[in-house]
Amino acid sequence: MKLLEALNTVKSMHSRGGPTLPCALVTGFTPLHLKTFLTAELVRRIPGRSIEIAEGLYGDLAGNMRRLPEAKFEFAVVVVEWCDLDPRLGIRSGARWSKDELSDIVATAKQHAAQFLHAVGNAAPLPLSVCMPTLPLLPLAHTPGWQKSAFEVDLHGVIQSLASSLAGLPHVRLLSAQQLDLQSPPSERFDLQADLRTGFPYLIPYASTLANLLASLALRSTPKKGLITDLDGTFWNGILGEDGVGGISWDLEHHSQIHAFYQRFLGSLAGAGVLLAVASKNDPALVEEAFARADLAVAPSAFFPVEAHWNAKSESIARILEAWNIAADAVVFVDDSPLELAEVEAAHPGIECVQFPSGDDLAIYGLIARLRDRFGKNTVTEEDGLRLASIRRTRTRDVAAESATDTNFLDQTEAEVSFTFEREPLDPRVLELVNKTNQFNLNGARHTEASWRALLSNPGAFLMVSSYRDKFGPLGRIAVLAGTLCGTRLSVSTWVMSCRAFSRHIEHRCLAELLARFRPEEVRFSYQQTERNGPLRDFLSRLLGSPPAPECNASRSLLDAFLETVLHTPEMIDE
Amino acid sequence: MNKIQARLTNCFLAVFPELTIDQVVSASSTNVRNWDSVAGVTLLAVVEEEFGILLDNSSVSGLNSFQDFLNYLTRTTSTDLYAAAGGY
Repeated sequence: MKLLEALNTVKSMHSRGGPTLPCALVTGFTPLHLKTFLTAELVRRIPGRSIEIAEGLYGDLAGNMRRLPEAKFEFAVVVVEWCDLDPRLGIRSGARWSKDELSDIVATAKQHAAQFLHAVGNAAPLPLSVCMPTLPLLPLAHTPGWQKSAFEVDLHGVIQSLASSLAGLPHVRLLSAQQLDLQSPPSERFDLQADLRTGFPYLIPYASTLANLLASLALRSTPKKGLITDLDGTFWNGILGEDGVGGISWDLEHHSQIHAFYQRFLGSLAGAGVLLAVASKNDPALVEEAFARADLAVAPSAFFPVEAHWNAKSESIARILEAWNIAADAVVFVDDSPLELAEVEAAHPGIECVQFPSGDDLAIYGLIARLRDRFGKNTVTEEDGLRLASIRRTRTRDVAAESATDTNFLDQTEAEVSFTFEREPLDPRVLELVNKTNQFNLNGARHTEASWRALLSNPGAFLMVSSYRDKFGPLGRIAVLAGTLCGTRLSVSTWVMSCRAFSRHIEHRCLAELLARFRPEEVRFSYQQTERNGPLRDFLSRLLGSPPAPECNASRSLLDAFLETVLHTPEMIDE
Repeated sequence: MNKIQARLTNCFLAVFPELTIDQVVSASSTNVRNWDSVAGVTLLAVVEEEFGILLDNSSVSGLNSFQDFLNYLTRTTSTDLYAAAGGY
């Protein structure tokens, strides 16, 4: 982004207005154009908000960090440079420059790093996105530039140790130095003239690149949930129907190792809870045989469903989406054929169709790096490990249910619903459910960590998290309700439930538990219709006897009568 | 309005959004209230980027109004064009 474009983006935000998003940019240098670029990048990502970035005092990074908790920010972006560890590492310093000074600089850097780490710890739970020093070190050491000095090694050691400590803090995200190096070579970062004139050390293009990555780090886009892959020319090299099971390859010997890399990547996605499926025009028996090959770089069990037949791929995608019970826009479809991609894209608007650049190893590597970004997540939860197994069990359960009535079947599932009401510590899975659930969602409201904490700190606030297991296995934490209790009125402002938990009457049990625990005379639902929350709307319609209005109320007697007609008595456990 | 003037006007409007197009022509550090050191540095950076030039310290000190910038750019740009045409 050019600076002129960034200024105009900020200008348009000011003229448009919108709810304020207060955040901080913590630096020891003058943030100047970095602040402009960061504001513009945030505006692009959250067009409805009015971004307000606070900055601190020049030359006082640790002090600026210490003062962070005094204001109410939704998040902070922190950029550390060498001169924050010791001003003598900056061009604007007038301090003497001798061999004896160097060991003192390292000692000071250690001390300042420790103070910074302490301040970062105290800023919790404010989400922090931190960038470690990115500028080249000044030529302070006695060695020639091509030789790494002990001084340089020691300073990098201080930074490495600091970064290692920061990476272990749950409220901190570190900017990837590797990604920054790929996008902006170190030799194209330092603006000597600007640093001398104004105290802003970055060249304009570098400030733009850095702001772009920092904005992505601070405001992660919602990761995709599922990947559907083609087989021939994508998952492996060759055409299964023509080359046979022994003729397809993904190894060095056949110059097709890049396909093994793709398979390994898919395996890593599966391990992080991403759903994987196959859509291939192939003989199903042959596919089964190929998947039995011992040298596959990913376990065949990671894929469900496997759609292998000669019908249109859009049909396969439809069945896969139904089995996963997720929307097309949460899914990426990878295929080497532009024709197949176009056919799927036309039938499933919203799905992200990506061409696998078969035969171009470098392009495939680039594609995998981009896919990693689309599926990247901050943490892998227990539920991520359960997801695929749970979907398989649901399919088994659905088949079993076809031969029994709904009521009878639920009675036979040995369902256990459990509830917790603890608000601390903040559970990443709870926030993930709130921010990723679309269908059974009271109003579609999304939350940052800061806004979620603020909601839970309201007077009379409650949080109820529901977990479920039955004889087919656990689903983990699958429902979240939050709101406030004021007198005898319970106001529910957040209610989400994973689509994997549908058709088990868990929503009824959640309501029953709320009534039993808080004994309200009335429950108010902060309902808002969204494009996708039809299941929640249908549920409230059944409860109220008519389509819900925003801020709809249900009396205790109405709720009791409604629950009485539906609920059985599964084992309920208060944790 | 020539091309240089139009591009320079866009730079001024981006840095000083409170100005109208008519006001830009007479804008200077003495009559634009928000023309402080930060705005001045931002204006220089935007102009450098927009016109692909690097302003040295001696030039910067003389650029205190829209007309100063316009005169400087007109002079520099014509010199560059002459040089590009093989004039030196």
